[in-house]
This record gives sequence, structure tokens and C-alpha cells, in this order.
Amino acid sequence: MATPEDANASLKTEVSEIASVHPNQSPKSGVSSAKPPQESTRSLWLRRTVILSFWAVAVLLGLPVWWKTTAIYRSDLPLQAMSDWAEGKIGKPVFPLRIAVEAPILPQDTHSLIQTTQHVLDDLNEFSAHQLRLMPVDPPLTANASQHVVVDGTRNSGDDKDTTLLIRLIPVETGETPRSYLQPYSPTLHVYYSPSHISSVSSTASPLAAFIARELHDIFAEEQAQLAYLLSTTSGEHIAKVHSLPQETAAELQRRSTRVLKYAPTYHLTFSLFTPTSTPSAWDIEAALRQYMAPLLESFSAISNFTIDTQVQLYATLSPSFPPPEYDENAKAWTLRNEDLSGFINAAEWPLSPSIADGPTVNFALYVPEQSQSPLLVKDSGASSWLVPQWGGVAILNPPSTEQDAAPLSALSKEALAPAMQTFSNQLISLLGLPQTPASLPLRLSTLTRVRAASLVFSASSTLGALAQVYQKLPSIPVPDTVAKSVDLALQHLQQACDELREGRFQGALEHARIADGEAEKAFFERSMVGQVYFPDEHKVAVYLPLLGPIAVPLLMAALKEIKNEVAAFKARRAAS
Amino acid sequence: MPKYDKALVFGAAAAVRLFLFTAFPSLPNLLAGRVEVSTPVTSFKRLQEGLFLYTHNVSPYDGGVYHQAPLLLPLFSLLPNPSYYPLATNILFVLVDLLSASALAQIADSGQAAVTRLFKSSRKELRWTSTAVAAGFLFNPFTFITCLSRSTSALNNLFILTAMAKACQGASITSLFALSFASYLSMHPIILFPPLLVLLYDVRTSKSKSPANPAVFAAIHTTILTGMIGALLGVSVLLTGSWDFVASTYGVRLLLPDLTPNVGLWWYFFIEMFDSFREFFLGVFWLHVASYMPGLTIRLRKQPLFVATTLTGIFAIFIPYPSIADAGLYLSLIPLFSHLFPLMRYTFLALSNTMYASFLGPAFYHLWIYAGSGNANFFYAITLVWNLGLSIIVGDSLYAALRDELEVERPELRDKEVTRI
Repeated sequence: MATPEDANASLKTEVSEIASVHPNQSPKSGVSSAKPPQESTRSLWLRRTVILSFWAVAVLLGLPVWWKTTAIYRSDLPLQAMSDWAEGKIGKPVFPLRIAVEAPILPQDTHSLIQTTQHVLDDLNEFSAHQLRLMPVDPPLTANASQHVVVDGTRNSGDDKDTTLLIRLIPVETGETPRSYLQPYSPTLHVYYSPSHISSVSSTASPLAAFIARELHDIFAEEQAQLAYLLSTTSGEHIAKVHSLPQETAAELQRRSTRVLKYAPTYHLTFSLFTPTSTPSAWDIEAALRQYMAPLLESFSAISNFTIDTQVQLYATLSPSFPPPEYDENAKAWTLRNEDLSGFINAAEWPLSPSIADGPTVNFALYVPEQSQSPLLVKDSGASSWLVPQWGGVAILNPPSTEQDAAPLSALSKEALAPAMQTFSNQLISLLGLPQTPASLPLRLSTLTRVRAASLVFSASSTLGALAQVYQKLPSIPVPDTVAKSVDLALQHLQQACDELREGRFQGALEHARIADGEAEKAFFERSMVGQVYFPDEHKVAVYLPLLGPIAVPLLMAALKEIKNEVAAFKARRAAS
Repeated sequence: MPKYDKALVFGAAAAVRLFLFTAFPSLPNLLAGRVEVSTPVTSFKRLQEGLFLYTHNVSPYDGGVYHQAPLLLPLFSLLPNPSYYPLATNILFVLVDLLSASALAQIADSGQAAVTRLFKSSRKELRWTSTAVAAGFLFNPFTFITCLSRSTSALNNLFILTAMAKACQGASITSLFALSFASYLSMHPIILFPPLLVLLYDVRTSKSKSPANPAVFAAIHTTILTGMIGALLGVSVLLTGSWDFVASTYGVRLLLPDLTPNVGLWWYFFIEMFDSFREFFLGVFWLHVASYMPGLTIRLRKQPLFVATTLTGIFAIFIPYPSIADAGLYLSLIPLFSHLFPLMRYTFLALSNTMYASFLGPAFYHLWIYAGSGNANFFYAITLVWNLGLSIIVGDSLYAALRDELEVERPELRDKEVTRI
């Protein structure tokens, strides 16, 4: 390519100079005219205009094109704010939990009881970001309201949704006092006390106050541990004074967090029935799901949504490399070895599609073994189900009848599916990271909301921090406006999430944290930013040189020669004059 | 007798073309599939695809296959379907070739190649007759193949030749109309406007008693050309209902999204190009094509027709989607300047180079694509040789034209060896 360009570009300047005769062939005289005849002014200027026209194209059009096409567009990012978030300088998440106290006693007594209890509670609490705040239910209407509420037992502490727990004091005459009972399906703690306890509520040594405080502390111990663990693993130590977790608690939390699925607003659940033979070929999964799964999913709906599909796979054999089950004479059962379980799922042949919906897929596989290999159990533990971390769960459903001549089951009824469904429910609960205590499901769910919100805030912050670092370390990557927009949105929602946390509105905080995390990820993984990351500056020489060689050299040489001639002529004129 | 000669040449050319069309019905499709002949922006197959979409009331650009001007569609939709009744289409393309040849003959008759208002070649008597020039076009194998493949660059060539012919006759409006059509069809002929403007000015001035003001003349003609191109674009918008066609036609020529191999220099370069520099080099390559125009027009101010001819040669080498049709146009225009032939130094080299590349090009393409025993470098290397050959002709003819000017200026230097100092 160099050849034609070179030839053409320099030709015009060169050929235009064929204006003088070869000295040896000068027709005029062979004696003294070694000097070529003077070039006419006209041809001189013609030549200069031609050179100038090429320069004009290069400078007037070429330079703007170069400037425009190689400029790297970098929109401004709020770097300071982004790294501040990542370092935890702003937006410390705090978790003030509101706990309403409802007591059929005089308001001032309630007040002093609350004060005392709060005092004891604060002494017990080692984790400053997580605070329990006691307050009376509906202060202006205490007496009447309490009457009313006692009658209406299911009522959830007035209209205030932000109240985490309701403590209901109930006077009793008999039994051991004080004692407590946590409602399993509503966030209510019943505390039974004998009226004699009330008299001493104002003193710090009140047994009732101490009892309530200890109960509360126990109830929220796991949540505190989880949050503390989260803080210690995901952010710098300066973000909060992390109270030292006991070694075994930390290890347990670590173990649990490895199996929990990454948070997503929507999960896709796949229920699959695998059987190595032709039976059972049908299962009453819809009814079973409705009965056993739907209530659980319903209660999770504040945190995540779920979509479900189901499938039946007949003649689904185990992978050939999977060691076949062995018959255990003692247990009278076929057994699988514990260490082989990871290979149980025949990923190559069983159609467990990775993800067909937006969210991550949670797989639940129900395996019905052959009649001849039933019952099939896990060796040693004798369990018939196990959990695959971050993937789903497997359950083996051994047909109920083990008599040899019984006809194989052709369809699984809702009742037959019940144990498997319960197993799956438990597996789903631990896959979603629901804490194991306290006993009240609503409380556990609200704990999960807080933990998820906090972890989303941390993950969004650290993503933003990483983006800020990338922005500063790699000045050559382009940053489109969409990234700046996403970052702004993420920062905004982060702030809102933290505000909501501080206000105690955890549901809203989760919403905002979810958006913030999504936007932060979108900004960080913007496709057009990565193109030029691995393009060192030295390569640009290799890109420009083939261009600068053939085009720039004739241009520069022609211009230099003209300038030199002009300077020489100018000097000659001055010398002459 | 010359009348008779001309009729014979034209008749023979038409007869041979029609004979080939009818005797070998599969030949047009075979040729239309060759990368050397059909480019993404001129291919007849793509035109048929666009036509099909157009006649079925779908936007012809929706398929992403058709990249040609919208106005071709109503023209070709008037003809019967070429898959079943190819005769009408074939006759159209034969007519296009005959009209091009007649335009070329008009250029030759005008004598503007050797004698202009400001310049009289010292060898002006060395002239081919217009019939010979037309025959050179009609029986040029490149023109022949273009016609048989029914590539729309034949239409483009017709408009360029008509613009030149009418400019040589001083017919401003017709010339500008043809030029605007050529620019509308394939964009780059707009670069021919300045030399044709100079040519028009020279012819008009030598014909009339009172020369027009050059600035006013240029302004009027620029306005007319802009108006005509604007009108053509406007009609296209009316036809397709939106401006979307611009991105699919001129956008494709400017941004080179289709890297199908062709005889040009761009495709290989842009396959290898780093993505981040792609836009920059697109700008550089296009500027490179355009940058010759001002320098040549200024330097060869006295021979505008020669400038226009040389620019067609530069198009044949440097535009993004060149085909042998562009080379055919340039090689057919060269005989107009037969008075320069004695001054050209590398005629043999250029000729043998062109033939060498013409025969080896298809062979190397076969080795690469079908036999699999070669790779892309084989074909690219032969296109480099092909373009080298064309560059030699361009450079050599430029040398000859400048030498000719020098000899007019200094008659005493005729037939003497000169050297540059």
C-alpha cells in the first residue's frame, strides 16, 4: 500500500519540478551554464499551492478526524463519594429495632418498666450498630388499646408495620413467673408475670425487667452475630466496632454463608422428578406445591419472588461413573456413600437447565429409585436427602411398599409427596439464608430482610469503590454516560437505603439496596468500558507508524524544502539589496 | 464511412452481449457471485433481494442485505422478474453499455482531451477516433463482465461518462444532472465535481464572447448540484418513507460494515484493524481518497478532463468497495489521451501487471475459498498487485501529462531527457 500512495503523493511535487534541463545536455552552451535556468514564479507558486492543498486536507480535515475518532469519552463520576461509600466513611448502616411493649398497667408504670428494661438491655448489648428500642404501644390510648388488643389476639401491634416485635405482658396468678412464649406465626412475645413484679419495676434490679432484657437479647443474638459477621467480612474494620465473635460462631456463619444463594429479587424454582424406570410417570406436584410450598413462598414474598416449573424425567439413569449403591445387610437398605453424593446428579444427561428465567435457578430433584434398589439411603446417616450448596436440594423418595410383588407406583399422590416437599421447604429455607432462631417465623423473616439489606448495601458500596479505582487507575478506558447515570442512581438509592435503615423501615431499605446493587453492577460491567483496557500505549506507535511513514514523510519533506528555498531566496534578496 | 463503422461497433457489441446472455443463461448468475465483479454495494443479487422486499411492501433495507440507492427499485420493478424473464433486464444493461460508449465517443469527439481553452498538446494529432475509443470501452473485458453480471456499477459508470461528455460539450444542466445521479448512486463521484466544474467553465468560456465570473459560475453550479442531489434524496425519502436508507446506503460505504473480500485495499486492512482505531482509519482512508482532488485540480488546471480521468483511476484503487467495473471505466478513459502514450514509460509493465493480476486473482481466490490450499493473504497479495498495476498507470499517465505540459512550455526540450534537480 505504501507504494502507490508514496508514488502518487510525491509524484506531483516531484514531477512539477522537472522544470530544468539536465546540466550536461543544456542546449545553450557547454561552457558555463551548470546552473539551471530560473524557475518561473508562476510554476513556483503553482507548486506551493499544490503542497498547501495537501497540507490543508491533512490539517483542516485530518486533524479534526483524528481528534474526534480517537478521543476517549469519559463522563465524570463522583469518585470521592464512591470511595467514601466503599470505605464506609458515609452511610454506616445502623439497625434500630423498635419493640413495642403492651402492658395492662398504668402508663407511668409501663414507662418506668420500659426505661429499666432498656437500661439493662443497653448494658447487655455489645454491638453498637444494632439497637433494640423499647417503646409503649400507642402512648395516648394505653389502657383502652391494651384491652382491645388482648381481645383481638391476632392484631399486630397497631398499624405500625415498622415495629419488629411486640411484647405483651400478661398477668397470671399461677405457674412459674416470669415466663415467656414466642408466637411462632406472629412477631409477638407473650410475657407472663405475677402482679407482684410490677411493684418493683422502677428499680434496676427488677426481676421482670431483667427477664425481658435477657429474653430479647437471646432472641436477637443470632441476628446480631450475623450482622457482625457481615460487617467484619465485607468492610474495613473502621466501619463499626465489631465485637469479637466467638470462633465457633464465626465458623458456623462462614459455613452457612457458603451454601446460601446470592441474593436476587426473583428466584426460579425447578422441581424435577427423576426415575430410572418408567414409573412413577405422574405426580400430583401442583397440589403438593400449593399445599406445602405456597405458604412458605408467600411469606418470603416481601424479600424475593419465585417462579416455579416442574418436570418429570423417566429412564433417568445415574451417571456411569457414579458408583452403584451397595446393599447394607444391617440396615436392610441400599446405601450411597457420603463422599459420592456430589456425583449423584447426572449433570450431563439430566435436563436441569441452568437458568431460563431472569433470576438464578434453584433445583429440587426428587429421585425415585427402582423397586429392586429400594429403599435407597445415605450410608451412616441413613438420610434420604441432602442439600447442594448454592444449587438446590436432592431428595430420594423410597416407595412406601417394599413387598416384592406390589405393583410399582404409577403416580405419586399429594400425600406421598408430603415428606419430600417438607424436605424441600427446609432446603429452600437454608438456601435462602433464613436464620435458624428465634422460633417465630416473622421474626426470622425480618431478620433476613435486615441481613439482606445490609449485605446489598455493602456489596453495592464495594462495587462502586472498585469502579472508582478502575476509573482512576486506567485513564485509557472510555466511560459512557450510562455508567455515570447508573452510578448516580446507585449512590442515591444507597443513601435512601441507609436512611430507611436508620428510620427502622427495613422493607424500604431492602428495596433501595436492591436497586442500588443492581445499578452498581450495571455500571461496573458496562461492556464498552473493557475494550481498551489491555491496549498499552506502545501499541499506538505500531498503529500510527504505517500511516505516518508513507503519508507524513512526503508531506513534511515537501514543506521543509519549500521553506528552505524560501529562506534561501529571502537571504539572497537581502544580500543583494 | 465513420458513421457506418460506429454502427458496426455498437451493433457487434450489443449482439455479442445478447448472444452470451442467451447462449449461457447461467453465466450472469455465475459472474454476479464473483467478488471481483460484484461488491456488496453493486451486486445484482442484492438488488433482487431489495426488489423482492420492495414489491412485498417491506422496507428493502430491513434485511440488511440491500445497500443500493432506493431509486433503483422502482426502475427495476417495472421490468419483469429477471429470474424468469431475464431478457428485459439484459437488454437494459446492454443499452446502458451502449449509452456509456456513446457518451465516451462524444468525449472523444469534443477533443477536450488534447486541446483545451488554456492548453494545446504538442502531440494533439495523435488521436484515436471516437469509434476506436468506444470500441475500447465496449470490448474491454472488464466492461463486458460487468455488463454480463448486471452489476449496478454499470449505471454508475454511465452517469459518470455522461457527466464528462456533457461537460465537454458545455451542457451544464445535463452534466450536473448526470453527476448528481452518479453521486446519488455511489457517493464518491461527488469528488469529480471540481474538475468537471473547471471543464465546464473552460468550455463555456471558450464558446461565449464574454467570460463569466468564475466565483459566480462556481456558486451557481454548486447550488444547482446541491439542489439536484437534495431532490434525489427527497424523492428517495418519499419512496421509502424515512431517512433510514441513508444509513444502509451511504453509511455502508462510509463505515464499511461488510468486509466481503473485493479487489480493493480496504477489507483486509479493516479485518486486522484494532476496534478502537477503526473509525480513525476509516476517516484516514476516506480523506486519502479525497485528498488527491484539490492537488490534481490545481496542478493540472489546464487539463480538467485529465484530472477527472485520473480521479476515476484513483477511485478504482482506493474506494472501499471497488470492482473491476471501476477499473474498466478508468482503462476505457485512458485511450482518450492517446497523445500521451509516447511519453509513458511503463506501458509494458503496467499492461503485463494488469493481465497477470486479472488471471491470477480468480485463481488465488479459488485456492483460498474453494480449494482451501491457500489463505486470505493469497488473494490480498494479488489485489495488491492489481492495484499496483493501476497505480503505475495513474502515476505514469500523470508523468506523461506533466511532461506534455513542459514540452508545450519549452518546445526546445522535446524528446530530450530531463531530470529532476
